[in-house]
Amino acid sequence: MTTADLFLQQAINGLSLGAMYALLALGFTLVYGILELINFSHFNVFMVGSFIAMWVLQQFGLSGQNTILYGLPLVGVLAVAFVATMLATGGIGVGIERFLLRPLRNVKGPAAMITTIGVSYILFNIILLTEGADSMNFPNPLPPVQFAVGGAVLRLREILIWVIALLLMLALTFFVKRTKLGKAMRATAQDPEAARMMGVEVDRVIMTAFFLGSALAGASGLIFGLYYNVISFIIGFNAGLRAFTAAVLGGIGNVPGAMLGGVLIGLTEALGSQLVGAAWVDVIIFGILVLVLVFRPAGLLGQPAPNKS
Amino acid sequence: MNALAAALTRPFDRLLPARRRQLALAVLVACILLFPVVHNNDADIDSMANAAAYATLALGLNIVVGFAGLLDLGYAAFFAIGAYYYGVFTSFQVMPLWNEYWAPLATLGLVEKINQGGPDLVHFTLSFWLALPTAAMLTAAFGVLFGAPTLRLRGDYLAIVTLGFGEIVPIVARNVDSVTNGAAGLNGIQAPHLFGWSFGVSATPYYYVGMALVAFLIFVSIRLRDSRIGRAWMAIREDEIAASAMGVNLVRLKLLAFAMGAAFAGFTGVFYVSKLQTATPEMFGFPVSAMILVMVVLGGMGSVWGVVLGAAVLQLLQSWFLPDLTSWTHALGELIGSEWLQHVDFVEAIELFFGIILVVMMLFRREGLIPAARRTPALSFEAQHVAGVQRGGFVGLDRIGRWEKGSGNALEIRGVTVRFGGLTALNRVDLAVPAGGVVAVIGPNGSGKSTLFNAITGLVAAEEGSIRFEGADIHGLLPHEILARGVARTFQNIRLFPNLTVLENVLIGQHARLSTGPIGAVLRLPRSRAEERAAAMWAMDIIGLFGSRLTPRAQQTVSGLSYANRRRVEVARALASRPRVLLLDEPTAGMNPAETLELAEQIKSLHALGLAILLIEHKLDVVTRLADTVVVLDHGEKIAEGRPDEVRRNEEVLRAYLGRAARETVNV
Amino acid sequence: MLTRRSAFKAAAGLAAVSAAGVGPALAADKVVKVGINLSFTGADATSATRISDGAILAFEEANKNHEVPGITFDLEKYDDGTATAGQYDPAQAATNARKMVSDPGVLAAIGPQMSGAGKAMAPILSAGDLGTITPSSTNPDITDPKFAAQYRPNGKAIYFRTVATDAYQGPNMANYMANTLKVKSVYVLDDSGAYGVGIADAFQKQAEKDGIKVLGRDRLDPKAADYSAVLTKIKSLNPQAIYYGGVDQAGVKLAKQAYDILPNVIKAGGDGIQSADFLSGAGFPAVEGWYATVAAPHVIGDPKIADFSKRFVARFGIQPEDYSVTCYTAAQVIIEAVKDLMAHKKDVTRDAVRQAIQDVNMKNSLLGPIEFDANGDIKNKIISVFQIRKNPDKPLDSPDDQYSYIGVAPMA
Repeated sequence: MTTADLFLQQAINGLSLGAMYALLALGFTLVYGILELINFSHFNVFMVGSFIAMWVLQQFGLSGQNTILYGLPLVGVLAVAFVATMLATGGIGVGIERFLLRPLRNVKGPAAMITTIGVSYILFNIILLTEGADSMNFPNPLPPVQFAVGGAVLRLREILIWVIALLLMLALTFFVKRTKLGKAMRATAQDPEAARMMGVEVDRVIMTAFFLGSALAGASGLIFGLYYNVISFIIGFNAGLRAFTAAVLGGIGNVPGAMLGGVLIGLTEALGSQLVGAAWVDVIIFGILVLVLVFRPAGLLGQPAPNKS
Repeated sequence: MNALAAALTRPFDRLLPARRRQLALAVLVACILLFPVVHNNDADIDSMANAAAYATLALGLNIVVGFAGLLDLGYAAFFAIGAYYYGVFTSFQVMPLWNEYWAPLATLGLVEKINQGGPDLVHFTLSFWLALPTAAMLTAAFGVLFGAPTLRLRGDYLAIVTLGFGEIVPIVARNVDSVTNGAAGLNGIQAPHLFGWSFGVSATPYYYVGMALVAFLIFVSIRLRDSRIGRAWMAIREDEIAASAMGVNLVRLKLLAFAMGAAFAGFTGVFYVSKLQTATPEMFGFPVSAMILVMVVLGGMGSVWGVVLGAAVLQLLQSWFLPDLTSWTHALGELIGSEWLQHVDFVEAIELFFGIILVVMMLFRREGLIPAARRTPALSFEAQHVAGVQRGGFVGLDRIGRWEKGSGNALEIRGVTVRFGGLTALNRVDLAVPAGGVVAVIGPNGSGKSTLFNAITGLVAAEEGSIRFEGADIHGLLPHEILARGVARTFQNIRLFPNLTVLENVLIGQHARLSTGPIGAVLRLPRSRAEERAAAMWAMDIIGLFGSRLTPRAQQTVSGLSYANRRRVEVARALASRPRVLLLDEPTAGMNPAETLELAEQIKSLHALGLAILLIEHKLDVVTRLADTVVVLDHGEKIAEGRPDEVRRNEEVLRAYLGRAARETVNV
Repeated sequence: MLTRRSAFKAAAGLAAVSAAGVGPALAADKVVKVGINLSFTGADATSATRISDGAILAFEEANKNHEVPGITFDLEKYDDGTATAGQYDPAQAATNARKMVSDPGVLAAIGPQMSGAGKAMAPILSAGDLGTITPSSTNPDITDPKFAAQYRPNGKAIYFRTVATDAYQGPNMANYMANTLKVKSVYVLDDSGAYGVGIADAFQKQAEKDGIKVLGRDRLDPKAADYSAVLTKIKSLNPQAIYYGGVDQAGVKLAKQAYDILPNVIKAGGDGIQSADFLSGAGFPAVEGWYATVAAPHVIGDPKIADFSKRFVARFGIQPEDYSVTCYTAAQVIIEAVKDLMAHKKDVTRDAVRQAIQDVNMKNSLLGPIEFDANGDIKNKIISVFQIRKNPDKPLDSPDDQYSYIGVAPMA
């Protein structure tokens, strides 16, 4: 394998990782943009989503990677899986917001964030207790097709990840920019009081944001399963850290920023493993997180917040 | 009044409730001392020793999160540093080659020469007792190191950065094998020795050391809490900007909080690992930081006894309640023949309980099991009217005495420009406040009046121009430095410290004038005690200026006070710092005419003290009553200046306020 | 010792202590309590149950058959796993050791399952003079005389094993690769855990001695999902084989992804991947062809122990694994030791039991002859090599059916 091929392959690896992190970061950044709340539970909603997706696919009689579908059945099964998973995780998100976070909306300080830490633990442990600590073989109907790009390999699922991620991002951008509810969300993000006075139902808007964000987390969970063929109770933590750094790097609250951040972090991970060693990748990523927050908290694409006296 | 003030200013002389508390404390101490004797089960004693370790960690985090309001999610990193420090210097991991330079250290007992086949090696044998304080110092240094980048961050970002550091430390421990033995961990860590006798494996000596450590750290926590330092921390927690404007050096105090909290964890690291004799990176990850946070949240953020209780509850939950619950459930399952019930294990579900505790506490009892804020009951109807309301002027102003009135201009502002992005909030504004004079600044909303105050007090940076206080340039100084020089202010939308009492709020004003540091706070040297006493008396005197309005309420939290009273407390707080210029931002806003009049008179009498006053006001009668000079701002520019009656008739001013020339009338 | 590890860890409190009844005690009998400390909570729980069943069976049979007249054995379970750790927890293990030592009725112990727990327990057990026999803890440090001051401050051997250590498991696999598989180049990975790093280090050193070129060494994060970057790097170096020191958490993902990226490379690991979870988590075809070792002679499927297997299945309803046998044997050693003391009319005390275990010489245990050296290690060190070969007629997650026994790995 030539060096050029090696780096091309690592770039492909990095971009696929990036798409996953971008999707996860998107949902997270959506909520932050409106509530300025760091939702720790987001990444375990993602993990729960992957389990829900697994159950849904198992209902179709799929198990492991041995049952392969093509064409219409494949599209149908995946579509059902996506819709079901996204609705379920969206519902979980709405439940969290409605019952656990709304009462704290006007409480100053870290109360809401601490609550999300608690919810994160609860979700994590429910899965641990009911499903156990083992890695689960994820049912995957995708055909193992791959293409050669120079000396590197591009797999179908990598293309799939990118297509779905881009579709979802376009859909989200369209929603935020063109629809009435989307405009309401942007207004609420900028100034909840003013938005309320303009007739925006802030409660409904926030609920929608949580629904969308959590649905995206669920979609990410399904994609994760399809990509790695293995899920377990622990996946939220690691992917969450990367996605969180991606969101912060790109500019927290900023949709294109989440994309950019995701890609950058994915590439960092792939090239970091290659050049420095997988053992240190976590430290590199945490290091990026700390540096961005200290020196440029607005991220690459975000606007620095005005000084509030 | 005097007796009340005197009684309130001697916080160490409590009445009967104190006796009761002392008795309870004595009983508790006796129980703790006798526990191993009465209940001779080594394993249970060991759990209690572990509980002691958790309690000290919770106490440390309480300083950072509870007192200072800095949400540290990576606290376990300091625990790790203390643990590995002791581990490296007592285990057989790091063993340099022996040469004569090590000999003097050997005589001191810090190292020994050993041989494991091959050349002679140095085996570090750092004494446990020496390791405790040195570990504390080391971790305190790391506390400063990790805290420094977070100083300017908002609450949630601060949490994330600390989380990051909290994760980096165990990863480094895992990867730097040569020092830490990586994932396999350090083993053969030395047990403590006391006069040649090794603690060995029995849990009892560790138990006593642990309890002693807890007692010591409770003592330190309480001393800090009730001192100038503790007050300053709480002020930072409640409102950082107001704290800074009142003289609290944010950087120093935040770093101090991090350092002290880290030091507690350093102590605990040494203790815990000396008992376990093993240290692995996995012992210090996020789940540990989260567990300590759960203890603090459960017990009560900021509450010293609360967090100790939180640690105890969690330990009891794990070691007694959950296993018992599991057994009962199994028995029940057998009784009713439920397969699932027979296999459920609540001990495994402990983390689930952590999550539930966090959520439930945040939703239903944010103050924790033992709340930190003391709730003094609101005054009864009688008490409110006991001394009668004294109107007009300040009471007892003469007791305050005069302070030096300077000469020349107290404040001189020349050409000050402040821009926020594209908006020019102040455009080359000139203003002068003569020593002992009263200047009022008026203008329509958004004209830049509060921005002017912010620029003077350093909350906002003036891009151009000069700001001089008594001739010295104060442009570019930090707010607390400006306060220390003698410029104090109040805020337009009242920035008091909501969960602190009236007295405590006013005492914060004194922060810059006192000098007790953390050591003085813990030791309570006579000088510190005298200083606190004097400060409290001074604060009561200032509070007493408002007659009976505030004095009966001195021990109440300000969040329960009426709006007018809260304004008064803000003025009192600013006065407590003995300023030479007082900046009042709409002090009578929201007051009814009677209250307005009263406060206006009181402000006027401050004049007599030699105080220069710069006043933002909307009520023109107050302005007329008080001000020598009136300055009018509009859209960031000064459009008029002069005596009150002159300015009232000024065309420009009228146009600015009313939007049209005075002569034009509206056809109704 | 089998140091299985999964993802995250912390320090936590106590766990349940439940007594496993092993049959009624006759009124006049002396009760000898044996504490069994395994990781019943977390990632290793399934194995723990299977392992402890071996001891339960042994003691039940001993009591039923009155194997040692006048003695009834009582097995007390201790769990050193905690939820916060997600696996074994050294602090919990230390606490359990304290508990056992402070209970005067406990005269011997079995366990721990994991070496990390063993390191925490050994000094405490040594101070309490309580001997323990581990059925699966393979880290060599604990019995290494170099570290005697740390792990047996009392001086006497306290940590006995019915398994060999990683000092042999790793290197013997290297020998197998060099001699039998004729491997010329290898890339080594570990999962950053105590067990994985230890065995990978041992393998690497021996591989170099055997003349295999070690092209590189890296570490997998068990919590990470994606190893494609590391695997791509390995692919570019073109090794003939990869060796993975670690447990299932990372192993499963490694197997899946290596199947895609390194299809023609020989893949091997230690006893950390010899498990049902590896089979079910990674699944076929990803696991096909993987080599795994076990630090004990392979006896399951051997007709000699068919009777044992039958009794085991009858009692517990599940198949035994190799470490069930080592645990059964450990229990038998204790029974034998006590029998020996009774036969010589000596007092059955903790120290006597420990010494009797040290001196034991069992000729026909299920593992063959059992004798311990001065450090407590088993004298008969056997490393067994397996390869996963798909047996479609049997359940795909049954280790006995899918791991084909190849033979004994050669000693250096």
